Parts: sequence; C-alpha cells; structure tokens
Amino acid sequence: MELIKEHPILEYKHGKEVVFTLDGKELKGYAGEPIAMALHANGVHIYRITPEMKRPRGFFCAIGKCSSCFMVVDGVPNVRTCVTPLEAGMKVETQHGKGLVPLEAQ
Amino acid sequence: MTVKTTDFIIVGGGVHGCATAYELAKAGYKVTLFESRYLSSGGSGRSAAGLRQHFGTEVNLHMAKYNLKVFPTLEEELDTGMDLEFRQWGYMWVAYTDSCLDQLKKNVALQKSMDIPSVIFTPDEIHERWPYLRLDGIIGAAFCGEDGHINPQTLTMAYGEAAARYGAVVKTYTPVQKLLAENGKIKGVVTESGEEWHAPRVLLAAGPHTRPLAATVGVDIPVYPERHNILISEPVEVFNCPMVLCLDDGAYFKQCPNGTFMFGRDDQDEPRDLGNEGNSVKFLAGVTASVLKRIPALSGVRVVRQWSGPYDVTEDHNAIIDWTPLEGLMVNCGWSGHGLQFGPSGGRVCKEMLVGEQAFVDLHRFRLARFAEGDLFFEPAFI
Ligand SMILES: Cc1cc2nc3c(=O)[nH]c(=O)nc-3n(C[C@H](O)[C@H](O)[C@H](O)COP(=O)(O)OP(=O)(O)OC[C@H]3O[C@@H](n4cnc5c(N)ncnc54)[C@H](O)[C@@H]3O)c2cc1C
Repeated sequence: MELIKEHPILEYKHGKEVVFTLDGKELKGYAGEPIAMALHANGVHIYRITPEMKRPRGFFCAIGKCSSCFMVVDGVPNVRTCVTPLEAGMKVETQHGKGLVPLEAQ
Repeated sequence: MTVKTTDFIIVGGGVHGCATAYELAKAGYKVTLFESRYLSSGGSGRSAAGLRQHFGTEVNLHMAKYNLKVFPTLEEELDTGMDLEFRQWGYMWVAYTDSCLDQLKKNVALQKSMDIPSVIFTPDEIHERWPYLRLDGIIGAAFCGEDGHINPQTLTMAYGEAAARYGAVVKTYTPVQKLLAENGKIKGVVTESGEEWHAPRVLLAAGPHTRPLAATVGVDIPVYPERHNILISEPVEVFNCPMVLCLDDGAYFKQCPNGTFMFGRDDQDEPRDLGNEGNSVKFLAGVTASVLKRIPALSGVRVVRQWSGPYDVTEDHNAIIDWTPLEGLMVNCGWSGHGLQFGPSGGRVCKEMLVGEQAFVDLHRFRLARFAEGDLFFEPAFI
C-alpha cells in the first residue's frame, strides 16, 4: 500500500487495516476510507470498462459525481467507489458495461 | 394582419397530432400543425412508452392490432434517422384478487378470439419464467409476448419530421389562443403571437387542453387532466424485463432498451388541473417501496430522474374521436393514459375522417354524444 504517511499540515489517522478482494484477489486497505483510495494505494487504476467503446475508466472526479469509478461491490453494480467507505471482506469487482443486477440471488 | 389559409389545421404536437399531420401530408393534403412548446412536450413525451394488446373492448383491440402491425417497420417508413427503440419484451397484468383475475381472463378470451397471442399464467409459471420477480400474493397474470416498448419522444418527433418532409407546416412554440367560428362552422385559429390561420377543417389533439380550446367556440369536450408521476433509473445490463403492472396498487415497472428502468404508480391525491407539472416526493417513496419488493434485484440501482405528465381522462376511460357539433371541428383526445401506442391508428382514422373517407375501424364507441346520451363505454383494461 502506498499512502502519504506524513503531511506538513494534516494529521492522518487511519482506521483498522482490513482485507477485501478485487476480482477475487485479496488486497489490504483501511476501513472507512473510500474503496477507490484503497485501490489507488494498491496501484489499481482501471475500475471499469465502458459499455459501448470498451474503454478503461478509473479515478476521476473523486467526489461522487462523474460516474468514472463505478464498480460492482458485493454484487451491486454502479457503486461510486470514490465515496463509498471500505469495509472488511468487501467483494469489489471491475465493472464491465452497465453492470448486471443480481438476478439469481436472494 | 395577413391571414394564412390551409386545408387542415391540427392543434397539438403530441403523437396523435403529429401522426395525423403525417398521414394527411403523405396523402398530399395541405396541413398546418400548431404546438405550444416542442413536439412531444405533452403527455406523449412523458409517458411510460408501453404498448400492448391487452384491452377488453373490440374497438381498442382492433386499433391495438393495427398499431402493432405498423410499429415494426415504422422507423424505416418515417426515415428520419431517429431510433424508435421498438422492442417486444412483453407486457404482464398481475392479479391479486379473484375478481381481477376473472376480468383478465375475459379480456384474454376476447383477445384470443381476435388472434392475439395472450395467455393467462399461474404464479408457478411466472416464477419459472422470471425467477427474479417476487410477486407474493398473486393469483395469476395475463401476458402477451408481442407487446412492449417504443420511444415516446422519437416516435412523436419522427412523425412530425416526416410530416414536414411531405410538406406539412409544423409550427412549434406557437400556442393557439382561440378558435374562430362563423355561421355555425369552424373558421380557423388565432395564435398567441397574433397569427390568424383559416381552414375548413380543424382537429384538436391537444390532450387535456382540448377542453379549454373547444370552449373558445362554445363546444364542451368532457375530458379532464390528471397528473401522473413516473421515474427512471440508471442503466443496468439489459435482461429484457417485461412491463409488469401490479393491479393491487397500480405500480408498474419495465426495462427500457438502454437498460434503464421506469417505475410508475397511481396516486389519487395528485392534482387534477392544468398547469401542474411538478412532481411529488410522496410518489418517489411510494413507488420505490412498492416496486422493489417485487423486483428486489433492483435494490442497489439508483433513481436518475422523475417527472410527471397529464392523462387526459374521460368518464369511461376511452378516447373521444369525433366531429363536434360545430361543423368542421373534430377532436381526438381523452386517451386516459393509454394513448401513446395509438399514434399509428389514431393518425390513420383522423386522416380518414378529416378527408371524408370511411374510417378503417368502426368508431361509434368513441363518439362525443355518448356522454350526453349516458351511453358510456367502459374500457376494463386501463391503468
Ligand atoms: C406518466 C404517464 C405514463 C403513460 N404511459 C403510457 C404508456 O405506457 N402507453 C401509452 O400508450 N400511453 C401512456 N400514457 C398516455 C399517453 O402519454 C397519452 O395518452 C398520449 O401521449 C396522448 O397523446 P396526444 O397526442 O393525444 O396528447 P399530448 O401528447 O398531450 O399532446 C398534446 C399537445 O398539445 C399541445 N397543446 C396544448 N394546448 C395547446 C395550444 N393551445 N396550442 C398549441 N398546442 C397546444 C401540448 O403542448 C401537447 O404537446 C402515459 C401518460 C403519462 C402521463
């Protein structure tokens, strides 16, 4: 994980270190910090592939507005990972296209 | 002021006005259409884009069959480059009570007698075919796989654009202020911008605004507005979810070709006057709770936008397509929430009546005098 540890003005207090998965691979991050932040710290830059042109998209506006960071989180597509806090055991997946809703589950 | 003349005037740039302008212009007639705002800005562009052959009366079924004959090739016919998004993912009417199911069975029997491939499904059959639906408490449903979706904005605009290509004059952002009559005959219209247009035949297809317009020449058209809300979600991958209409609280949902979902639901407290275009927070809470329990797979899907549109309702939930007592003045309105899909048949019969031909279906049931005569004609399948 690559994160700024010291800052001249701000003081960092991370939450608990937790394990989550990206497309089945285990990664570490801090609980309560945005999912996208944990991914970025792990060097992951492609979050989804666009529906029509099949282009890669990643971190962009970082304030939940632009749709660039949509991923499938715990089976729910189009989750704005830049504003959604990370939790232990989260199943994060690269989103291909518009995202499938969980038709079989429940 | 110079007065302009034409053969036919149409007031209203919804699907019925535009389709009629198209039919007239294609047949070589001179027609001018007036629309207050932009084409499809009324009920047409705000609708749920649903088309169906589930009706319980012969005349509506005849016209519905005709609509479905036209839709598959209409995009090609109108040839505007606009995508009409015609899809046949089916339309289901879900019953929660015996009396409701009995009515659906009657409707389906009539539909089958007219060669419409509708079926009655049991709850098990529904579960097998659409395992993602959670329709607890249902006792059966009527389904027709040929029914589906058409884009309401492109449908209306394409009719308007094709009409203009055939020579129709389509005047948008030109509200008609009043009609003109002389010696018991229609004479023309005056626009709010002060233009005067004369024609021996005028068609009002202005949805709920038909009533105040007709009143300017002393004609009463018993149609009243009723606001209905609707919302659309963000897109998800397409899984061809049909239109599902739940007859307990009137909630409906369907997937559109681009993957978005539309949800709608009745609310008796909605305003019933013109000029109330907002929408209600109560609707948002009510419709999402009602729909999500029936299709929980959509629970994480976000709502993008909600809006409302006016139904133009009549006492018996059927349209009025008729000449009025004022010679030369005709109306096509009162579609009571199911009029978008009737664009093709509505346009055709209006053109036929306006030019003096025999309409291809018997429109006796849609006559204006039925209200005064107390001979109402109820459509059992309305939402
Ligand atoms: C929420 C909702 C969902 C619906 N869902 C469906 C559905 O799934 N399937 C279906 O078939 N139908 C549906 N409908 C019903 C359908 O929208 C209408 O029945 C249909 O669009 C009526 O078309 P129209 O051309 O008669 O009227 P409108 O589309 O209302 O057109 C009338 C036009 O007249 C114009 N106008 C008014 N006054 C004047 C004036 N003074 N001068 C000039 N122009 C004027 C208006 O601006 C308007 O554009 C729905 C309606 C709503 C509100």
